[in-house]
Amino acid sequence: MRTEPGGCCCRRPVRAKDCVANGEVRNGYVRISAATAAAAAGQIHHVTQNGALYKRPFNEGFEETPMLVAVLTYVGYGVLTLFGYLRDFLRHWRIEKCHHATEREEQKDFVSLYQDFENFYTRNLYMRIRDNWNRPICSVPGARVDIMERQSHDYNWSFKYTGNVIKDVINMGSYNYLGFARNTGPCQEAAAKVLEEYGVGVCSTRQEIGNLDKHEELEKLVASFLGVEAAMTYGMGFATNSMNIPALVSKGCLILSDELNHASLVLGARLSGATIRVFKHNNMQSLEKLLKDAIVYGQPRTRRPWKKILILVEGIYSMEGSIVRLPEVIALKKKYKAYLYLDEAHSIGALGPTGRGVVDYFGLDPEDVDIMMGTFTKSFGASGGYIGGKKELIDYLRTHSHSAVYATSLSPPVVEQIITSMKCIMGQDGTTLGKECIQQLAENVRYFRRRLKNMGFIIYGNEDSPVVPLMLYMPAKIGAFGREMLKRNIGVVVVGFPATPIIESRARFCLSAAHTKEMLDTALKEIDEVGDLLHLKYSRHRSVPLLDRPFDETTYEETED
Amino acid sequence: VNVGVAHSEVNPNTRVMNSRGMWMTYALGVGLLHIVLLSIPVAWTLTNGIHNLGMYVFLPAVKGTPFETPDQGKARLLTHWAQLDYGVQFTSSRKFFTISPIILYFLASFYTKYDPTHFFLNTAALLSVLIPKMPQLHGVRIFGINKC
Repeated sequence: MRTEPGGCCCRRPVRAKDCVANGEVRNGYVRISAATAAAAAGQIHHVTQNGALYKRPFNEGFEETPMLVAVLTYVGYGVLTLFGYLRDFLRHWRIEKCHHATEREEQKDFVSLYQDFENFYTRNLYMRIRDNWNRPICSVPGARVDIMERQSHDYNWSFKYTGNVIKDVINMGSYNYLGFARNTGPCQEAAAKVLEEYGVGVCSTRQEIGNLDKHEELEKLVASFLGVEAAMTYGMGFATNSMNIPALVSKGCLILSDELNHASLVLGARLSGATIRVFKHNNMQSLEKLLKDAIVYGQPRTRRPWKKILILVEGIYSMEGSIVRLPEVIALKKKYKAYLYLDEAHSIGALGPTGRGVVDYFGLDPEDVDIMMGTFTKSFGASGGYIGGKKELIDYLRTHSHSAVYATSLSPPVVEQIITSMKCIMGQDGTTLGKECIQQLAENVRYFRRRLKNMGFIIYGNEDSPVVPLMLYMPAKIGAFGREMLKRNIGVVVVGFPATPIIESRARFCLSAAHTKEMLDTALKEIDEVGDLLHLKYSRHRSVPLLDRPFDETTYEETED
Repeated sequence: VNVGVAHSEVNPNTRVMNSRGMWMTYALGVGLLHIVLLSIPVAWTLTNGIHNLGMYVFLPAVKGTPFETPDQGKARLLTHWAQLDYGVQFTSSRKFFTISPIILYFLASFYTKYDPTHFFLNTAALLSVLIPKMPQLHGVRIFGINKC
């Protein structure tokens, strides 16, 4: 990884001395003086607080929404809301045809089945641009994919297939980071052989009769790949999180989870019955404050100490493209004696010089992370998840995890796909294909992000993350962008409210090692055209480091004790 | 639970009024409404009246959320005003939206030269919008208005 010449190191604001001062986190590298503090207001040359913890520059930025764009976005939503009320009125008085589900005439006096207002957004906003999602594909989703063409004559309430297939669409939406989503090659041949030998279904759980020798081989391989003592694999990535967190923590424990954690982590945390406190996204001051308060005040009302404190973070956050500040989290964890659960769903295989994920990217010791969780869905082209850690932990999980007791284990051809792809990444199959893929991905990421920034788009996230969110903001542009890109043979994923905050709708590109430079250049040319057409180039090249991001100090949460 | 969503915020309706630019959009909207109405003689009272009518409908009258939330409808019987910031009183958004009709009221009274009829109408409009926002009336339904 070459560093950008002339780029400044970790951009973080200068903090006053009475803020967060703790022996292990701060170091002697802080250069705070009146002159620098005054000059910092004028220029963006910020001094890092914890620089010695990072062995490489950590460039992350989230440019602020321009005020005019925010105002126009609200006006857009306002107009859509007014039109929504108008259309609802017309539908109610039968002037306009009603396409959605309604109750039967005979049941009008019963308690209503549907709450009409809750579907307001779905009926009036989502339906209009529904053709950008759930597009059926009919080939393997590699670097290029075939999409079935469909038309709608009643404004997206129903679709008809024309019978054409749009061929060779450049695929910028699949989580295919290392390019293993293929139907030819060594992985496919190995999986086909195992399919003949073992069949497809396992038909049992791990604890009964579903523990194949392939699973044991896979687990040894995963443990050696991550650098931990032992590992355990599960059939579904979502279920790995939601079924194992309840086995690890329970009532009387505290979970500190990041604001933007994935639904599986949130569900696992809620199912466990522990108390959940949320800290601001990637904000170490917020996390430290919560840790301090937890240890000083203990449990609410009884003031007893917490049984366990577990910090839940992800390696790469797939909606923002940001990377967790792992060195600082580990320093905090050691100081306050908490446990760390790291979910590397998107970062395993995609980050780091040898592809071992975010721990490798920062050059840290995998023993510092208590529970390393990840999925095989993204970089390995398979399905399922794993948890790695100390041998006692994994032995405990083998008996107590809900997945191990009730869920079916991984299917043998899938296991073989993971084994082959993992060996390829580690270089154990005798070729340098793995190393080339990792390097190709890193180069693609750097190139793509640099070109998009130079064109003037607002891009969120870290310089090295293969997830690239491009900000669209206005609701009409969400639909327009998706459709225009498909017309130009590029498939993208767009997201809007309420999946993102109201003014931050975006298009999300996922880069892959399978994308060649020509494909990226074609894509960039088309994005440039569409950007000019839709006036998407909002950037004023003034990025705000995450800690300065204007978040409300006084945000309120649901309290549910 | 929060399926397909990028954050762990259960009800996005609570944070909408705090977002960047919302207050400015609101102020601009009221200003635009006034300019459009300036052609009619009773402009200020009309602005005040229409603004308060709109505010009454959207904040303390409409209940629930326009999208499905993963908290199984805890907010279905709550008005948008009650949902703001999860029911915490005296936050900055609540203060802003309480003060803005008062400012409009002052301006309307001044520009109509304290004429009795206008005064009566303006005061009635102001009270209809201010009273539902008071913290003592959080969750209260008088005369059965807006119940269920």
